Amino acid sequence: MEQANAVRQDGETKAGILAHLEGLEAQMNRSCKRSEELQRTQAEESALGIKIRELRCLRDKLRAEVNQRRARAKASSASVEPDQTVGIGEQEVLERKQESVKAVLQAYRFTGLSGKLTSRGVCICISTAFEGNLLDSYFVDLVIQRPLWIHHHSVPVFIPLEKIAAKYLQTDIQRFLFSLCEYLNAYAGRKYQADRLQGDFAAFLTRPLHRNSLCNLLLFTYKVEQMRQSSFCARLLYEDLTATLPTDTTVTYQGTEALSTSMEEQRASHEALFRTKPLHQVFASFAKEEELDLSLAS
Amino acid sequence: MSQKSFQEIHHADSAGWESSKAPRSHLRHLEAELSFLSMLTGFNITHYSKKTEDPTSAEMTEESIKKVLQRHRLSGSCHVVMFQLEFQILEIQNKENLSSVITDLSIVMEPTEYSELNEFVSSFPLACPSAMVLLTCNSPKEMEPADHGLKPLKPAEERRDLFMFFRGLHFFVEWYEYRKRTFKHFKDKYPDVVHLPEGPCSRCMGIHSASCPGFELMIVWRIQIDEEGKVSPLLDLLTKIPQRALELDKNRVIETAPLCFRTLLRVLGIEAAVESLIRLLQTGNA
Repeated sequence: MEQANAVRQDGETKAGILAHLEGLEAQMNRSCKRSEELQRTQAEESALGIKIRELRCLRDKLRAEVNQRRARAKASSASVEPDQTVGIGEQEVLERKQESVKAVLQAYRFTGLSGKLTSRGVCICISTAFEGNLLDSYFVDLVIQRPLWIHHHSVPVFIPLEKIAAKYLQTDIQRFLFSLCEYLNAYAGRKYQADRLQGDFAAFLTRPLHRNSLCNLLLFTYKVEQMRQSSFCARLLYEDLTATLPTDTTVTYQGTEALSTSMEEQRASHEALFRTKPLHQVFASFAKEEELDLSLAS
Repeated sequence: MSQKSFQEIHHADSAGWESSKAPRSHLRHLEAELSFLSMLTGFNITHYSKKTEDPTSAEMTEESIKKVLQRHRLSGSCHVVMFQLEFQILEIQNKENLSSVITDLSIVMEPTEYSELNEFVSSFPLACPSAMVLLTCNSPKEMEPADHGLKPLKPAEERRDLFMFFRGLHFFVEWYEYRKRTFKHFKDKYPDVVHLPEGPCSRCMGIHSASCPGFELMIVWRIQIDEEGKVSPLLDLLTKIPQRALELDKNRVIETAPLCFRTLLRVLGIEAAVESLIRLLQTGNA
């Protein structure tokens, strides 16, 4: 009986051990698997970790670049040169100052006297005007040395530049410039009056206007209304070259008819008019009188 | 990587600094030019601005005439005188040429307490009716009635001459300063004999001497500006003498004194003429 039990027990025991072994094997397998899995996950983890770090780096880099670009964009809207991140405020201030200084430099031409520095001295520009009409400009290129000398200029020959320079250039440059200004502006004014007479009021002249290059001696013959065969001959002398009004005026009657008292009065008044008013204004008043008479007559 | 980016930034930084050096030196050059021009002309312009307007004119497109209107504002100073100008320039461009006309001019001057500068501004020929002359005085003084030397403002004259204003201003200030210097010279040289009734910028200089009590000579020096904007001095001699001396004056020296003074001026010039007058009274040979 025991044998049977033993057999049976052995069988059971044998079966038990086998099962046990199988169980252990399975356990072992399971733990192996687990450790493999663990390893795998660990490996995965570390891989992910590296990736995370790389991505973080990239993110920081991009962030920095975005900030840089933002700063650049801000700077470029305010100044012309955008490729610096330091000193942008300074740039703005500098450029605004430059603009205002340039504007003021330009404004000097409205004083009639302006200039630009050259390598050797200064080039001065003198502007002329008469009664609000801006006329020609002239330049004088000065070399700043001892003694000062004029390198070249565009002043007409009949203006006494050498005389003025001899008098003032070495001792008082400002006086030299303003004296020259006076002469040039007066010449421009006289020329303007003569041009206007020849251009706008040619209808009054019976013969062409005689004038010299300095425009300080004018001779012309003219007719006003009610003069049929006769005319007036006027001689205007501008002795003062810094003036635009004549110092001496002579109006003479030319004609075959006898000189009536009204004609004589006219002659005398014209003589006075030419001395006190600019030439073209005198003729403009003649023209107005004629218009008035015409409208009254009609 | 980070090293490289630092280098890049460093590069950009240094490049930026170098490029900002050039504008600074350019600005310095401009400012040098400005101060030179200011010294050369005697005008110190502090502000300038301009505005361009296109006038709406029907004739513009038809005859291919282009008109541009510019408004300018300019302010600055010349010695003690501060000025503020507003003017318009009309540029007309037709097929043949370009012409520029000043169509409006208004001048504001600050003459501080010198009444004669008020006179200068008001005597300056200006356009009408659009022009105005505004005076801002710190201590208002009554304007003196027009002297025989000064021509009053003629509203009928249309002379919008900007350059004439500046020329006139320059010469006026020159004469003004010269008068101040001359009177000061005599005051310093003869402090007991000479006195300036209106202060250092006085228009007149009085001469009296203790040796000749009751006698006083007054030199009045006016600066006048004519219609063409030309500035010239006008000197006159006024005499104050006791009644008794006048009765004794058989040769009518006193009466003819002002005229003689004018002659003396022409012959000797201002300084020598005044000096001789002072010497005259000093020695008591009245």
